Amino acid sequence: MTRNTRIVMSILYWAFVLYIFVPLALMVMMGFKDSKFIGFPIRSWTLDWYMSVFENTEVMSAFGYSMLIGFSSTLVSLIVGVWIAVLLNGRGFIGKGVIFGLTLLPALIPGIISAISFRIYAQLWGIPPGTGAIIWCHAVHNVPFVVLIVSARLSTLPTSYLDAARDLGADPLIAFARVTLPYLRPALIGGGVFCMLISFDDFVRSFFLGGYQPTLPVLIFAKLRSGMSPEINAIATVVLAMTAILGIWAERSMRRLQKG
Amino acid sequence: MPGKVPSGAAALAGKSSVDHQTKDGRSFWGALAGSRLYQAFSDALLSSPRRQFILLLAFPLLWIITQHLGPMAQMFYVSFLDAYPVAADHPQHFTTDNYLRFFGSSIFLMPFIRTLVFAATLTFATLILTYPVAYFLARHVKRSNQMIFLLLLLIPFWVGEIVRTYAIMILLGNNGAVNLALKWLGLVDRPVPFMYTGFSISVGIVYLTALYMLLPLYSALEKLPRSYTDAAADLGAGPWTRFWRVTLPLSLEGISSGCTLVFLISTGFYATPVLLGGPSTTVFAETIAGFFHAAGDEWPTGAAFACLMFVTALAISLGFGRFMTWLSKGVRK
Repeated sequence: MTRNTRIVMSILYWAFVLYIFVPLALMVMMGFKDSKFIGFPIRSWTLDWYMSVFENTEVMSAFGYSMLIGFSSTLVSLIVGVWIAVLLNGRGFIGKGVIFGLTLLPALIPGIISAISFRIYAQLWGIPPGTGAIIWCHAVHNVPFVVLIVSARLSTLPTSYLDAARDLGADPLIAFARVTLPYLRPALIGGGVFCMLISFDDFVRSFFLGGYQPTLPVLIFAKLRSGMSPEINAIATVVLAMTAILGIWAERSMRRLQKG
Repeated sequence: MPGKVPSGAAALAGKSSVDHQTKDGRSFWGALAGSRLYQAFSDALLSSPRRQFILLLAFPLLWIITQHLGPMAQMFYVSFLDAYPVAADHPQHFTTDNYLRFFGSSIFLMPFIRTLVFAATLTFATLILTYPVAYFLARHVKRSNQMIFLLLLLIPFWVGEIVRTYAIMILLGNNGAVNLALKWLGLVDRPVPFMYTGFSISVGIVYLTALYMLLPLYSALEKLPRSYTDAAADLGAGPWTRFWRVTLPLSLEGISSGCTLVFLISTGFYATPVLLGGPSTTVFAETIAGFFHAAGDEWPTGAAFACLMFVTALAISLGFGRFMTWLSKGVRK
């Protein structure tokens, strides 16, 4: 490659990084503005908006509610996802390809269609909009991601490990619990955090399946509809920080475990 | 990891040495495997490879049918009903009115076409925007640094739709950063109204979907052996020829999956067009959502519209996928 193309390429890369980062950085900055009105330039700065977020019971309860939904739906997705991944990585059978394709379906359905199809489906089962319905929909939506992440790890598990366990008298279930599951740990952490993040940041499903209590993204949306304010910036920044910390932590622990 | 297995596996032999097992720290598994309840369970379900397989298959099959297909099937069914949820004293009627309603009025047709055109245009724009980035990451960055460079882009991507849409609102508003910069440079006197137009929606959607395009492109380009382009260079091909004749054709698979993903996802955004768009940029997601905010008997129409949207989007992406496969097969010959 010539030097010029390399330079042009690296400029394009950093321009892209700026495109990704600048809007978020501006959003964080605006939360420090000492005025009710969103907009540049920022003449005086304050910490009040950030301070008041932690005292705002509405925001804190929405935050807790989002966490609850995230944890519960992740737990369900992990169990189902691991089960499907083990099936798909085992021996071949007729229709395996079809099952794989259908496993990925929830990740491919456009958000709005997924949300309203679950709204209708919940009605069929008599599930009222609210906590249960949101957890359920998030869990189904996240299964494909767990299957993909767990499958990647599972395909590197040497068959000799399981053979050894079987030779020593373990039945498949015990071999799974004592050999496969510990081996999958990095994938479970990575997949779990990934699901957690998707669920925590999801808007459209929570919006259509939610009851009176809003999740954090739904609360931000509702506040946005009545006007922009640095308070929203502060709330969104808290979400951003949460996401970044969780994401980096998961990435690091996944890589450390995968090396060991 | 390999060192740990023999010692752990010794304790796996629950059945044969239950008594011995209870004495050491791993007694739980031995006790479990030795317990009568577990034996009965094991005899019933795990006694032959066939039964084991059925146990393994049953739950995923049930889940996929009821959870992955169920909602779509029910939506399709409801789209042919005259009312839903059904009142107790009201007999169910099948009808195609919900679908006919779509074709009867341009109020519905315009957002539908607008959504598809938006999605297709933005998919192409995202491709053009991210291809050089993916190429740079895969070919110019040292392998040991690639993960860090990629992670730099991944972190903001995990932040959800609402937060990132809001970030775009601040960027493009009348008092936003872009307008401030333009004014400061002396290019404009009064703020350019970026917000609530097709432009602001486009910036927002590209901002949300870029990584769905970048990742498939990156993995396709990363797999491409450097020796191919080196060989082409040895044979006298210039940079452009190498790109058009070697790199681009061999990354068609990545392009295909990236475009399919981005296209399908962009048809489904709801909050972004609501927050960034105006009355002249209504997309079909908003039309569909409208039927669900209203009273219950509008649901079948919403369901029918959602089916139309999904089937059309799926058909377009499948057709595109087939075309790309055909194209890349032609290349390999």
